[in-house]
Amino acid sequence: MTEQEIRDTVLRALRNVAPEIDPATLSPGVPLREQVDIDSVDYLRVLVELNEKVGVDIPEADYARIATIDQLVAYLVGRTGTARAGPPAG
Amino acid sequence: MRRAVAAAVSRSKREIPHYYLGAEIDLGRAIEWLHGTNAMRSVTERILPAALFLKAVARGLRAYPELNGFWSDGESHPADAVHLGVAISLRGGGLIAPAIHGADALALPELMAALTDLVHRARTGGLRGSEMTDATVTVTNLGDEGATTVLGVIYPPQVAIIGFGRTIERPWAVNGLLGVRPIVTVTLAADHRATDGHYGGRFLAEVDRLLQNPEAL
Repeated sequence: MTEQEIRDTVLRALRNVAPEIDPATLSPGVPLREQVDIDSVDYLRVLVELNEKVGVDIPEADYARIATIDQLVAYLVGRTGTARAGPPAG
Repeated sequence: MRRAVAAAVSRSKREIPHYYLGAEIDLGRAIEWLHGTNAMRSVTERILPAALFLKAVARGLRAYPELNGFWSDGESHPADAVHLGVAISLRGGGLIAPAIHGADALALPELMAALTDLVHRARTGGLRGSEMTDATVTVTNLGDEGATTVLGVIYPPQVAIIGFGRTIERPWAVNGLLGVRPIVTVTLAADHRATDGHYGGRFLAEVDRLLQNPEAL
């Protein structure tokens, strides 16, 4: 999966629990729970779907690191070893 | 939907003489236990505090059956089983409280699975008729984004509704020592025709006791 595919998968998982979400209005750098009305059951459902689609089981201990969409995508990119888009460093 | 809610709560407030009690409960042990057990579980088997609350209430009601059942024909009718109504807010407004049948007899992982399934089906329109009609008591949980205290409106002809507010970290004294603990305010709104405050208070104390021993739930 590319970083973009992971981002699309995250947004799809969010829309599956909260269909009213318009990705165009979400700020990827602002904590998700401040922007959308999802409860702990919804959130767990998102994580289950990401586990199915991306193959990453996110432990509770890492929740604090994935508060925003950007953080969540970066976390999944890191865990899957996906090459980041853009020119290589150095 | 709005009209159905309006009819139920109007009848409740017209007919049911509510009394209200609240208890602050230290969740330190419960949350520590959950972190420990969840660290060993895959994301599909993870248990949320909400499931622990439901289990504690269901077990507590077994010991205080007068809060689990109905008021009809001028008398109390305690139910044989605990069919736990779970208040679920719907996207776009309104709420419903379908039942988890026999919640007191379910193991915690089963109760968690039942909760996840019920919330999903409630929000996608896949509930069964019996789930909508035969709850014997209701639990409302405002979760981790809401208010700290909820004083519920009893769903008639039920005789009680138990509320869980948002868990917050608070200064908390134990044995003369001050520490910071995660505290939840648990409330009971009950029908004064069926029970008295003394009985309701003992039920809340039982819920507290059960949550202090989470591995036994």
